[in-house]
Amino acid sequence: MTGFRITDGIDRGTAFQFTCDGESVTAYPGESIAAALMAAGKRQTRVTARRQMPRGLYCGMGVCWECIMIVNGKPAVRACMTPAEPGMKVETQHGVGDPA
Amino acid sequence: MRETDLLVVGAGAAGLSAASEAAKHGLAVTVLDDNLLPGGQYFRRLPTGYHHTHETVFDKERQRANALYATTGQKGITYLNDAVVWESPENGVLAFARGADSGRIRAKLTIIASGAHDRPAPFPGWTLPGVVTAGGLQNLLKGQRVIPGRRAIVAGNGPLVLLVGATLARAGAELREVVEAAPILKRLAGSIADLIAMPKIVRQAVDYRLAIMKSGARLRTGWTVIEARGADELEEVVLAPIDATGKVDRSRARAVKADLLVVGFGLMPSIELVRLLDCKLEWKPLRGGWVPVRGADFETSRPGVLAVGDGAGIGGVEMALREGKLAGVIAAERLGKLSRDQAANLKAPIQAEIAKVETFRRGLERLYAMPPAFLDLLTPETIVCRCEDVTAGELRARQDAGFGSTAALKGTTRTTMGRCQGRNCLRTLSALIAQASGQPIEQVTMPRPRLPARLVTIGDLLQEELPPIEMPKDPHLPRGERVS
Repeated sequence: MTGFRITDGIDRGTAFQFTCDGESVTAYPGESIAAALMAAGKRQTRVTARRQMPRGLYCGMGVCWECIMIVNGKPAVRACMTPAEPGMKVETQHGVGDPA
Repeated sequence: MRETDLLVVGAGAAGLSAASEAAKHGLAVTVLDDNLLPGGQYFRRLPTGYHHTHETVFDKERQRANALYATTGQKGITYLNDAVVWESPENGVLAFARGADSGRIRAKLTIIASGAHDRPAPFPGWTLPGVVTAGGLQNLLKGQRVIPGRRAIVAGNGPLVLLVGATLARAGAELREVVEAAPILKRLAGSIADLIAMPKIVRQAVDYRLAIMKSGARLRTGWTVIEARGADELEEVVLAPIDATGKVDRSRARAVKADLLVVGFGLMPSIELVRLLDCKLEWKPLRGGWVPVRGADFETSRPGVLAVGDGAGIGGVEMALREGKLAGVIAAERLGKLSRDQAANLKAPIQAEIAKVETFRRGLERLYAMPPAFLDLLTPETIVCRCEDVTAGELRARQDAGFGSTAALKGTTRTTMGRCQGRNCLRTLSALIAQASGQPIEQVTMPRPRLPARLVTIGDLLQEELPPIEMPKDPHLPRGERVS
Protein backbone atom coordinates (compact mmCIF):
# COMPACT_ATOMS: atom_id res chain seq x y z
CA MET A 1 0.00 0.00 0.00
CA THR A 2 1.19 3.51 -0.68
CA GLY A 3 0.55 7.12 -0.01
CA PHE A 4 -0.83 9.36 -2.73
CA ARG A 5 -0.96 12.88 -4.09
CA ILE A 6 -4.26 14.78 -4.06
CA THR A 7 -4.55 16.05 -7.62
CA ASP A 8 -7.94 17.79 -7.50
CA GLY A 9 -7.54 21.56 -7.75
CA ILE A 10 -3.74 21.55 -8.00
CA ASP A 11 -1.41 22.00 -10.97
CA ARG A 12 2.02 20.94 -9.75
CA GLY A 13 4.01 21.94 -12.83
CA THR A 14 6.50 19.67 -14.56
CA ALA A 15 7.62 16.48 -12.85
CA PHE A 16 11.28 15.53 -12.51
CA GLN A 17 13.23 12.58 -11.14
CA PHE A 18 15.65 12.07 -8.29
CA THR A 19 17.00 8.83 -6.87
CA CYS A 20 16.48 7.14 -3.55
CA ASP A 21 18.83 4.23 -2.82
CA GLY A 22 19.43 4.07 -6.57
CA GLU A 23 15.76 3.90 -7.56
CA SER A 24 14.13 6.66 -9.58
CA VAL A 25 11.49 8.74 -7.75
CA THR A 26 9.12 11.32 -9.26
CA ALA A 27 8.78 14.76 -7.66
CA TYR A 28 7.46 18.23 -8.48
CA PRO A 29 9.17 21.62 -8.04
CA GLY A 30 9.04 22.56 -4.37
CA GLU A 31 7.85 19.15 -3.18
CA SER A 32 9.62 17.87 -0.06
CA ILE A 33 11.75 14.74 -0.30
CA ALA A 34 9.47 13.12 2.29
CA ALA A 35 6.28 13.89 0.36
CA ALA A 36 7.71 12.55 -2.90
CA LEU A 37 8.92 9.38 -1.21
CA MET A 38 5.60 8.75 0.49
CA ALA A 39 3.71 9.29 -2.74
CA ALA A 40 6.06 6.64 -4.19
CA GLY A 41 5.24 4.25 -1.34
CA LYS A 42 8.60 4.50 0.42
CA ARG A 43 8.13 5.38 4.07
CA GLN A 44 11.26 4.19 5.83
CA THR A 45 13.86 6.94 5.85
CA ARG A 46 16.43 5.70 8.31
CA VAL A 47 17.54 2.86 10.60
CA THR A 48 18.48 3.87 14.14
CA ALA A 49 22.04 3.55 15.43
CA ARG A 50 21.48 1.75 18.68
CA ARG A 51 18.66 -0.72 18.03
CA GLN A 52 18.59 -0.76 14.21
CA MET A 53 14.91 0.14 14.18
CA PRO A 54 13.12 1.42 11.05
CA ARG A 55 11.86 5.00 11.22
CA GLY A 56 10.05 7.39 8.93
CA LEU A 57 8.31 10.73 8.90
CA TYR A 58 6.61 11.34 12.24
CA CYS A 59 6.09 15.01 13.18
CA GLY A 60 6.13 16.44 9.67
CA MET A 61 7.31 19.86 10.86
CA GLY A 62 11.05 19.60 11.48
CA VAL A 63 10.81 18.96 15.21
CA CYS A 64 11.51 15.22 15.64
CA TRP A 65 14.39 14.51 13.19
CA GLU A 66 13.00 11.01 12.54
CA CYS A 67 12.93 11.42 8.75
CA ILE A 68 16.62 12.25 8.35
CA MET A 69 18.36 10.85 5.28
CA ILE A 70 21.65 11.20 3.42
CA VAL A 71 21.16 13.80 0.69
CA ASN A 72 23.90 14.27 -1.90
CA GLY A 73 26.34 12.73 0.56
CA LYS A 74 25.32 14.91 3.52
CA PRO A 75 23.88 12.94 6.48
CA ALA A 76 21.09 14.00 8.84
CA VAL A 77 19.06 16.04 6.34
CA ARG A 78 15.38 16.28 7.29
CA ALA A 79 13.34 14.87 4.39
CA CYS A 80 10.22 16.74 5.55
CA MET A 81 11.93 20.15 5.44
CA THR A 82 14.01 19.76 2.28
CA PRO A 83 12.63 20.24 -1.22
CA ALA A 84 13.55 17.55 -3.74
CA GLU A 85 15.67 18.66 -6.70
CA PRO A 86 16.24 17.11 -10.12
CA GLY A 87 19.01 14.52 -10.01
CA MET A 88 19.31 14.64 -6.23
CA LYS A 89 20.87 11.54 -4.67
CA VAL A 90 18.94 10.48 -1.56
CA GLU A 91 19.87 7.48 0.58
CA THR A 92 18.38 5.71 3.59
CA GLN A 93 20.47 6.71 6.60
CA HIS A 94 21.86 3.90 8.72
CA GLY A 95 22.92 4.96 12.18
CA VAL A 96 24.66 8.32 12.24
CA GLY A 97 25.25 8.56 8.55
CA ASP A 98 26.65 5.52 6.78
CA PRO A 99 24.97 4.96 3.42
CA ALA A 100 23.15 1.65 2.92
CA MET B 1 25.14 43.42 14.26
CA ARG B 2 21.69 43.94 12.74
CA GLU B 3 19.27 46.19 14.61
CA THR B 4 15.51 46.42 14.61
CA ASP B 5 12.73 48.00 16.66
CA LEU B 6 10.73 44.81 17.03
CA LEU B 7 11.97 41.28 16.56
CA VAL B 8 9.34 38.60 15.99
CA VAL B 9 10.38 34.97 16.26
CA GLY B 10 8.03 32.77 14.24
CA ALA B 11 6.10 33.47 11.03
CA GLY B 12 2.93 31.62 11.92
CA ALA B 13 -0.52 33.01 12.70
CA ALA B 14 0.58 34.86 15.86
CA GLY B 15 3.97 36.09 14.63
CA LEU B 16 2.80 37.44 11.30
CA SER B 17 -0.25 39.12 12.86
CA ALA B 18 2.01 40.83 15.38
CA ALA B 19 4.51 41.90 12.72
CA SER B 20 1.81 43.23 10.41
CA GLU B 21 0.10 45.28 13.09
CA ALA B 22 3.36 46.69 14.48
CA ALA B 23 4.66 47.66 11.04
CA LYS B 24 1.35 49.35 10.25
CA HIS B 25 2.00 51.74 13.11
CA GLY B 26 5.50 52.56 11.92
CA LEU B 27 7.82 50.12 13.69
CA ALA B 28 10.78 48.55 11.91
CA VAL B 29 10.05 44.84 12.32
CA THR B 30 12.25 41.81 11.64
CA VAL B 31 10.66 38.38 11.48
CA LEU B 32 12.80 35.26 11.89
CA ASP B 33 11.26 31.91 10.94
CA ASP B 34 12.75 28.44 10.67
CA ASN B 35 10.60 27.39 7.72
CA LEU B 36 11.26 28.07 4.05
CA LEU B 37 7.79 29.55 3.52
CA PRO B 38 5.70 31.76 5.83
CA GLY B 39 2.44 30.69 7.48
CA GLY B 40 3.60 28.46 10.31
CA GLN B 41 1.81 25.15 10.74
CA TYR B 42 -1.85 26.12 10.45
CA PHE B 43 -1.37 28.30 7.36
CA ARG B 44 1.30 26.06 5.84
CA ARG B 45 1.84 27.08 2.27
CA LEU B 46 1.96 24.96 -0.89
CA PRO B 47 5.19 25.16 -2.89
CA THR B 48 5.22 28.47 -4.74
CA GLY B 49 5.32 26.67 -8.10
CA TYR B 50 1.99 24.90 -7.45
CA HIS B 51 -1.13 26.57 -8.85
CA HIS B 52 -4.73 26.24 -7.81
CA THR B 53 -6.89 25.29 -10.79
CA HIS B 54 -10.14 25.54 -8.82
CA GLU B 55 -11.30 25.77 -5.21
CA THR B 56 -11.65 22.53 -3.29
CA VAL B 57 -12.73 21.67 0.24
CA PHE B 58 -9.08 22.11 1.29
CA ASP B 59 -8.93 25.76 0.20
CA LYS B 60 -11.37 27.28 2.69
CA GLU B 61 -8.64 29.23 4.49
CA ARG B 62 -6.97 30.53 1.34
CA GLN B 63 -8.07 34.13 1.79
CA ARG B 64 -6.80 34.45 5.35
CA ALA B 65 -3.66 32.53 4.44
CA ASN B 66 -2.84 34.76 1.47
CA ALA B 67 -3.34 37.88 3.59
CA LEU B 68 -0.85 36.54 6.13
CA TYR B 69 1.72 35.53 3.49
CA ALA B 70 1.47 39.03 2.02
CA THR B 71 2.61 40.60 5.29
CA THR B 72 6.14 39.27 4.68
CA GLY B 73 6.40 41.86 1.90
CA GLN B 74 4.71 44.63 3.86
CA LYS B 75 6.47 48.00 4.23
CA GLY B 76 8.59 48.06 7.39
CA ILE B 77 8.93 44.27 7.66
CA THR B 78 12.17 42.37 7.05
CA TYR B 79 11.33 38.69 6.74
CA LEU B 80 14.14 36.15 7.12
CA ASN B 81 13.06 32.59 6.33
CA ASP B 82 15.02 29.40 7.07
CA ALA B 83 16.54 31.11 10.13
CA VAL B 84 17.03 29.12 13.33
CA VAL B 85 17.23 31.14 16.55
CA TRP B 86 19.65 29.28 18.77
CA GLU B 87 21.07 31.59 21.42
CA SER B 88 20.71 34.88 23.28
CA PRO B 89 24.22 36.17 23.95
CA GLU B 90 22.97 39.20 25.89
CA ASN B 91 19.73 40.94 26.84
CA GLY B 92 17.86 42.11 23.73
CA VAL B 93 20.10 40.18 21.32
CA LEU B 94 19.30 36.88 19.60
CA ALA B 95 21.68 34.82 17.48
CA PHE B 96 20.31 32.97 14.48
CA ALA B 97 21.69 30.45 12.00
CA ARG B 98 20.92 31.08 8.35
CA GLY B 99 23.77 29.59 6.36
CA ALA B 100 26.13 32.29 5.08
CA ASP B 101 23.67 34.92 6.35
CA SER B 102 23.85 33.80 10.00
CA GLY B 103 24.23 36.52 12.59
CA ARG B 104 22.95 38.40 15.57
CA ILE B 105 20.20 40.92 15.89
CA ARG B 106 19.52 43.53 18.57
CA ALA B 107 15.90 44.53 19.18
CA LYS B 108 14.20 47.07 21.44
CA LEU B 109 11.40 44.56 21.96
CA THR B 110 11.05 40.86 21.16
CA ILE B 111 7.87 38.89 20.53
CA ILE B 112 8.21 35.11 20.69
CA ALA B 113 5.58 33.32 18.64
CA SER B 114 7.20 29.90 18.58
CA GLY B 115 4.09 27.81 18.01
CA ALA B 116 3.47 24.25 19.11
CA HIS B 117 3.99 20.64 18.21
CA ASP B 118 2.22 17.37 18.95
CA ARG B 119 2.44 16.05 22.46
CA PRO B 120 4.28 12.73 22.48
CA ALA B 121 2.05 9.84 23.54
CA PRO B 122 4.15 6.68 23.44
CA PHE B 123 2.64 3.22 23.02
CA PRO B 124 4.12 -0.01 21.68
CA GLY B 125 4.93 0.40 17.98
CA TRP B 126 4.59 4.20 17.84
CA THR B 127 7.97 4.47 16.13
CA LEU B 128 6.98 2.40 13.06
CA PRO B 129 7.02 4.15 9.68
CA GLY B 130 3.37 4.79 8.88
CA VAL B 131 2.58 6.24 12.32
CA VAL B 132 2.48 10.03 12.00
CA THR B 133 1.26 12.88 14.19
CA ALA B 134 -1.95 14.80 13.57
CA GLY B 135 0.05 17.97 13.02
CA GLY B 136 2.31 16.17 10.57
CA LEU B 137 -0.65 14.83 8.60
CA GLN B 138 -2.23 18.28 8.35
CA ASN B 139 1.12 19.73 7.24
CA LEU B 140 1.47 17.15 4.50
CA LEU B 141 -2.03 18.00 3.36
CA LYS B 142 -1.59 21.77 3.44
CA GLY B 143 2.03 22.04 2.40
CA GLN B 144 2.25 19.15 -0.05
CA ARG B 145 -1.26 17.80 -0.77
CA VAL B 146 0.11 14.33 -0.06
CA ILE B 147 -1.47 11.65 2.13
CA PRO B 148 1.18 9.28 3.53
CA GLY B 149 -0.87 6.06 3.37
CA ARG B 150 -4.13 4.62 2.09
CA ARG B 151 -5.89 2.49 4.69
CA ALA B 152 -6.10 4.86 7.62
CA ILE B 153 -6.92 5.06 11.32
CA VAL B 154 -7.01 8.22 13.42
CA ALA B 155 -6.62 8.02 17.20
CA GLY B 156 -6.06 10.56 19.93
CA ASN B 157 -7.63 13.18 22.10
CA GLY B 158 -8.71 16.66 21.14
CA PRO B 159 -10.25 18.59 18.28
CA LEU B 160 -7.55 17.56 15.79
CA VAL B 161 -8.90 14.00 15.81
CA LEU B 162 -12.12 15.03 14.05
CA LEU B 163 -10.23 17.40 11.74
CA VAL B 164 -7.75 14.74 10.62
CA GLY B 165 -10.54 12.20 10.19
CA ALA B 166 -12.36 14.61 7.91
CA THR B 167 -9.16 15.40 6.00
CA LEU B 168 -8.54 11.73 5.26
CA ALA B 169 -12.17 11.09 4.33
CA ARG B 170 -12.25 14.07 1.96
CA ALA B 171 -8.87 13.20 0.45
CA GLY B 172 -10.18 9.81 -0.59
CA ALA B 173 -8.23 7.62 1.82
CA GLU B 174 -9.85 4.38 3.00
CA LEU B 175 -10.67 5.68 6.45
CA ARG B 176 -11.40 2.78 8.80
CA GLU B 177 -11.69 4.10 12.34
CA VAL B 178 -11.62 7.46 14.08
CA VAL B 179 -11.21 7.05 17.84
CA GLU B 180 -11.37 9.83 20.41
CA ALA B 181 -10.24 8.94 23.92
CA ALA B 182 -12.51 11.34 25.78
CA PRO B 183 -16.25 10.49 26.03
CA ILE B 184 -17.14 13.71 24.22
CA LEU B 185 -20.65 12.74 23.20
CA LYS B 186 -21.66 12.27 26.84
CA ARG B 187 -20.15 15.65 27.74
CA LEU B 188 -21.47 17.71 24.87
CA ALA B 189 -24.52 18.97 26.75
CA GLY B 190 -22.30 20.37 29.50
CA SER B 191 -20.03 22.24 27.10
CA ILE B 192 -22.24 23.53 24.33
CA ALA B 193 -23.16 26.80 26.07
CA ASP B 194 -19.49 27.86 25.99
CA LEU B 195 -18.69 26.30 22.63
CA ILE B 196 -21.26 28.39 20.77
CA ALA B 197 -19.19 31.48 21.58
CA MET B 198 -17.43 30.52 18.33
CA PRO B 199 -20.33 29.31 16.14
CA LYS B 200 -18.14 29.02 13.03
CA ILE B 201 -15.89 26.44 14.69
CA VAL B 202 -18.88 24.46 15.97
CA ARG B 203 -20.28 24.33 12.42
CA GLN B 204 -16.89 23.15 11.15
CA ALA B 205 -16.82 20.37 13.74
CA VAL B 206 -20.27 19.20 12.61
CA ASP B 207 -19.02 19.19 9.00
CA TYR B 208 -15.98 17.13 10.00
CA ARG B 209 -18.19 14.62 11.75
CA LEU B 210 -20.49 14.35 8.71
CA ALA B 211 -17.51 13.84 6.38
CA ILE B 212 -16.24 11.01 8.58
CA MET B 213 -19.65 9.35 8.77
CA LYS B 214 -20.19 9.68 5.02
CA SER B 215 -16.89 7.88 4.39
CA GLY B 216 -18.24 4.82 6.17
CA ALA B 217 -15.56 4.98 8.86
CA ARG B 218 -16.45 4.10 12.39
CA LEU B 219 -16.28 6.99 14.87
CA ARG B 220 -15.79 5.84 18.46
CA THR B 221 -15.50 7.96 21.55
CA GLY B 222 -13.99 6.67 24.78
CA TRP B 223 -11.55 4.48 22.79
CA THR B 224 -7.80 4.71 22.27
CA VAL B 225 -4.94 3.16 20.34
CA ILE B 226 -2.95 0.76 22.50
CA GLU B 227 -0.48 -0.74 20.01
CA ALA B 228 0.83 -0.44 16.45
CA ARG B 229 2.19 -3.60 14.84
CA GLY B 230 4.30 -4.34 11.79
CA ALA B 231 7.71 -5.58 10.69
CA ASP B 232 9.38 -2.69 8.85
CA GLU B 233 6.31 -0.50 8.72
CA LEU B 234 2.79 -0.28 10.06
CA GLU B 235 0.49 -3.21 9.26
CA GLU B 236 -2.04 -3.35 12.08
CA VAL B 237 -3.41 -1.13 14.85
CA VAL B 238 -4.89 -2.36 18.14
CA LEU B 239 -7.70 -0.26 19.63
CA ALA B 240 -9.40 -0.62 23.00
CA PRO B 241 -12.09 1.15 25.03
CA ILE B 242 -11.36 3.16 28.16
CA ASP B 243 -13.60 2.26 31.08
CA ALA B 244 -15.34 4.60 33.51
CA THR B 245 -12.30 4.69 35.84
CA GLY B 246 -9.99 5.78 33.02
CA LYS B 247 -8.37 2.36 32.57
CA VAL B 248 -7.90 0.66 29.23
CA ASP B 249 -10.14 -2.40 28.89
CA ARG B 250 -7.85 -4.84 27.08
CA SER B 251 -10.47 -7.59 27.12
CA ARG B 252 -12.38 -5.68 24.43
CA ALA B 253 -9.34 -4.77 22.31
CA ARG B 254 -9.58 -5.25 18.57
CA ALA B 255 -6.94 -5.26 15.84
CA VAL B 256 -7.56 -3.43 12.56
CA LYS B 257 -5.39 -3.68 9.42
CA ALA B 258 -4.01 -0.29 8.39
CA ASP B 259 -0.99 1.27 6.69
CA LEU B 260 -1.50 4.74 8.17
CA LEU B 261 -2.11 5.61 11.80
CA VAL B 262 -2.46 9.27 12.66
CA VAL B 263 -2.05 9.99 16.38
CA GLY B 264 -3.06 13.30 17.92
CA PHE B 265 -3.03 13.57 21.70
CA GLY B 266 -3.08 17.33 21.78
CA LEU B 267 -0.41 19.96 21.25
CA MET B 268 2.25 21.38 23.52
CA PRO B 269 3.87 24.83 23.30
CA SER B 270 7.39 25.01 21.89
CA ILE B 271 9.12 26.52 24.89
CA GLU B 272 12.80 25.95 24.14
CA LEU B 273 13.46 29.62 23.42
CA VAL B 274 11.66 30.99 26.49
CA ARG B 275 13.49 28.38 28.55
CA LEU B 276 16.83 29.43 27.12
CA LEU B 277 15.95 33.05 27.94
CA ASP B 278 15.28 31.90 31.50
CA CYS B 279 11.67 33.10 31.40
CA LYS B 280 9.65 31.88 34.36
CA LEU B 281 7.31 28.99 33.46
CA GLU B 282 4.05 27.74 34.93
CA TRP B 283 2.20 24.45 34.52
CA LYS B 284 -1.13 24.79 32.74
CA PRO B 285 -2.25 21.32 31.66
CA LEU B 286 -5.25 22.61 29.72
CA ARG B 287 -3.00 24.95 27.70
CA GLY B 288 -0.57 22.16 26.83
CA GLY B 289 1.68 21.92 29.91
CA TRP B 290 4.61 24.25 30.61
CA VAL B 291 3.94 27.80 29.41
CA PRO B 292 5.76 31.08 30.03
CA VAL B 293 4.30 33.17 32.86
CA ARG B 294 2.89 36.30 31.22
CA GLY B 295 2.01 39.58 32.87
CA ALA B 296 -0.25 42.26 31.52
CA ASP B 297 0.48 42.93 27.85
CA PHE B 298 1.93 39.43 27.25
CA GLU B 299 5.30 40.25 28.80
CA THR B 300 7.26 37.28 30.16
CA SER B 301 9.35 37.49 33.34
CA ARG B 302 12.18 38.70 31.10
CA PRO B 303 11.60 42.44 30.47
CA GLY B 304 11.18 43.31 26.81
CA VAL B 305 10.30 39.75 25.82
CA LEU B 306 6.65 39.05 24.99
CA ALA B 307 5.16 35.63 24.19
CA VAL B 308 2.02 35.07 22.10
CA GLY B 309 0.07 32.37 20.31
CA ASP B 310 0.26 28.61 20.85
CA GLY B 311 3.88 28.93 22.01
CA ALA B 312 2.58 30.78 25.08
CA GLY B 313 -0.20 28.24 25.77
CA ILE B 314 -2.33 26.29 23.32
CA GLY B 315 -5.25 28.44 22.26
CA GLY B 316 -5.67 27.54 18.60
CA VAL B 317 -5.44 29.63 15.47
CA GLU B 318 -8.24 32.07 16.33
CA MET B 319 -6.53 32.93 19.60
CA ALA B 320 -3.09 33.17 17.95
CA LEU B 321 -4.26 35.61 15.27
CA ARG B 322 -5.82 37.89 17.87
CA GLU B 323 -3.03 37.67 20.44
CA GLY B 324 -0.56 38.49 17.68
CA LYS B 325 -2.50 41.53 16.57
CA LEU B 326 -2.85 42.74 20.14
CA ALA B 327 0.89 42.26 20.71
CA GLY B 328 1.54 44.40 17.62
CA VAL B 329 -0.47 47.23 19.16
CA ILE B 330 1.29 46.77 22.50
CA ALA B 331 4.70 46.94 20.81
CA ALA B 332 3.77 50.11 18.89
CA GLU B 333 2.56 51.72 22.12
CA ARG B 334 5.63 50.74 24.10
CA LEU B 335 7.98 52.05 21.45
CA GLY B 336 6.16 55.38 21.22
CA LYS B 337 4.29 55.01 17.93
CA LEU B 338 0.85 55.06 19.55
CA SER B 339 -0.44 57.16 22.43
CA ARG B 340 -2.03 55.41 25.37
CA ASP B 341 -5.52 56.43 24.19
CA GLN B 342 -4.91 55.38 20.59
CA ALA B 343 -3.63 52.02 21.78
CA ALA B 344 -6.56 51.54 24.17
CA ASN B 345 -9.02 52.14 21.32
CA LEU B 346 -7.28 49.59 19.15
CA LYS B 347 -6.97 47.04 21.95
CA ALA B 348 -10.59 47.03 23.13
CA PRO B 349 -12.20 45.24 20.16
CA ILE B 350 -9.38 42.66 19.97
CA GLN B 351 -9.67 41.96 23.71
CA ALA B 352 -13.42 41.45 23.32
CA GLU B 353 -12.77 38.87 20.61
CA ILE B 354 -10.13 37.15 22.73
CA ALA B 355 -12.67 36.88 25.56
CA LYS B 356 -15.02 35.02 23.20
CA VAL B 357 -12.27 32.62 22.15
CA GLU B 358 -11.46 32.03 25.81
CA THR B 359 -15.08 31.13 26.53
CA PHE B 360 -14.96 28.69 23.63
CA ARG B 361 -11.68 27.20 24.91
CA ARG B 362 -13.23 26.57 28.32
CA GLY B 363 -15.99 24.53 26.69
CA LEU B 364 -13.46 22.68 24.58
CA GLU B 365 -11.27 21.88 27.57
CA ARG B 366 -14.24 20.44 29.51
CA LEU B 367 -15.26 18.42 26.47
CA TYR B 368 -11.89 16.81 25.86
CA ALA B 369 -10.33 16.56 29.34
CA MET B 370 -8.81 13.12 29.73
CA PRO B 371 -7.15 11.32 32.63
CA PRO B 372 -3.41 10.86 31.91
CA ALA B 373 -3.70 7.09 31.46
CA PHE B 374 -1.15 6.79 28.68
CA LEU B 375 1.69 5.54 30.89
CA ASP B 376 -0.38 2.34 31.31
CA LEU B 377 0.32 1.59 27.64
CA LEU B 378 4.10 1.45 28.04
CA THR B 379 5.66 -2.02 27.87
CA PRO B 380 9.33 -2.50 28.82
CA GLU B 381 10.17 -2.55 25.08
CA THR B 382 8.30 0.67 24.24
CA ILE B 383 10.62 3.41 23.02
CA VAL B 384 10.40 6.60 25.10
CA CYS B 385 13.32 8.53 23.58
CA ARG B 386 13.10 8.08 19.81
CA CYS B 387 16.42 9.76 18.99
CA GLU B 388 18.53 7.68 21.35
CA ASP B 389 16.44 4.47 21.25
CA VAL B 390 15.85 4.39 25.01
CA THR B 391 13.00 2.15 26.20
CA ALA B 392 10.60 2.49 29.12
CA GLY B 393 12.15 -0.69 30.58
CA GLU B 394 15.65 0.83 30.57
CA LEU B 395 14.40 3.97 32.24
CA ARG B 396 12.40 2.12 34.88
CA ALA B 397 15.41 -0.08 35.65
CA ARG B 398 17.52 3.04 36.22
CA GLN B 399 14.77 4.49 38.38
CA ASP B 400 14.73 1.30 40.45
CA ALA B 401 18.51 1.65 40.82
CA GLY B 402 18.01 5.08 42.39
CA PHE B 403 18.31 7.47 39.45
CA GLY B 404 15.28 9.57 40.29
CA SER B 405 15.67 12.92 38.50
CA THR B 406 15.43 13.99 34.87
CA ALA B 407 19.09 15.06 35.02
CA ALA B 408 20.25 11.68 36.37
CA LEU B 409 18.22 9.71 33.83
CA LYS B 410 19.41 12.01 31.06
CA GLY B 411 23.03 11.61 32.10
CA THR B 412 22.88 7.82 32.34
CA THR B 413 20.68 6.97 29.33
CA ARG B 414 21.03 9.95 26.92
CA THR B 415 17.22 10.43 27.03
CA THR B 416 16.46 14.02 25.83
CA MET B 417 20.00 14.35 24.40
CA GLY B 418 19.27 13.43 20.79
CA ARG B 419 18.49 15.57 17.79
CA CYS B 420 14.95 16.48 18.88
CA GLN B 421 16.49 17.86 22.10
CA GLY B 422 13.85 16.30 24.29
CA ARG B 423 10.82 17.64 22.49
CA ASN B 424 9.48 14.10 22.01
CA CYS B 425 10.54 12.50 25.30
CA LEU B 426 11.00 15.02 28.11
CA ARG B 427 7.28 15.03 28.86
CA THR B 428 7.19 11.22 29.12
CA LEU B 429 10.37 11.17 31.19
CA SER B 430 8.86 13.69 33.62
CA ALA B 431 5.66 11.63 33.79
CA LEU B 432 7.62 8.45 34.61
CA ILE B 433 9.42 10.27 37.42
CA ALA B 434 6.17 11.74 38.72
CA GLN B 435 4.59 8.28 38.69
CA ALA B 436 7.48 6.67 40.56
CA SER B 437 7.86 9.42 43.16
CA GLY B 438 4.20 10.27 43.63
CA GLN B 439 4.87 13.96 42.97
CA PRO B 440 2.70 15.95 40.59
CA ILE B 441 4.44 16.29 37.20
CA GLU B 442 4.87 20.05 37.61
CA GLN B 443 7.18 19.43 40.57
CA VAL B 444 9.55 17.33 38.47
CA THR B 445 12.53 19.56 37.65
CA MET B 446 13.41 19.76 33.97
CA PRO B 447 17.05 19.41 32.92
CA ARG B 448 18.86 22.70 32.50
CA PRO B 449 18.31 24.17 29.04
CA ARG B 450 21.51 24.10 26.99
CA LEU B 451 22.74 25.76 23.85
CA PRO B 452 21.82 25.64 21.08
CA ALA B 453 18.05 26.13 21.51
CA ARG B 454 17.71 24.25 18.20
CA LEU B 455 20.21 22.26 16.20
CA VAL B 456 22.64 24.30 14.10
CA THR B 457 25.74 23.26 12.21
CA ILE B 458 29.29 24.35 12.86
CA GLY B 459 29.17 25.94 9.41
CA ASP B 460 26.26 28.13 10.52
CA LEU B 461 28.21 29.26 13.56
CA LEU B 462 31.16 30.11 11.34
CA GLN B 463 28.70 31.97 9.10
CA GLU B 464 29.76 30.07 6.01
CA GLU B 465 28.93 26.92 4.13
CA LEU B 466 31.27 24.03 4.93
CA PRO B 467 31.66 20.86 2.84
CA PRO B 468 29.97 17.72 4.23
CA ILE B 469 31.88 16.11 7.06
CA GLU B 470 33.47 12.65 6.56
CA MET B 471 31.51 10.45 8.92
CA PRO B 472 33.10 7.43 10.58
CA LYS B 473 32.14 4.17 8.86
CA ASP B 474 31.15 2.36 12.04
CA PRO B 475 27.62 3.57 12.83
CA HIS B 476 27.77 2.85 16.54
CA LEU B 477 31.18 4.40 17.14
CA PRO B 478 30.08 7.80 18.46
CA ARG B 479 27.19 6.36 20.43
CA GLY B 480 28.76 3.77 22.71
CA GLU B 481 27.16 0.36 22.95
CA ARG B 482 24.98 -1.19 20.30
CA VAL B 483 21.86 -3.02 21.48
CA SER B 484 19.78 -5.45 19.49
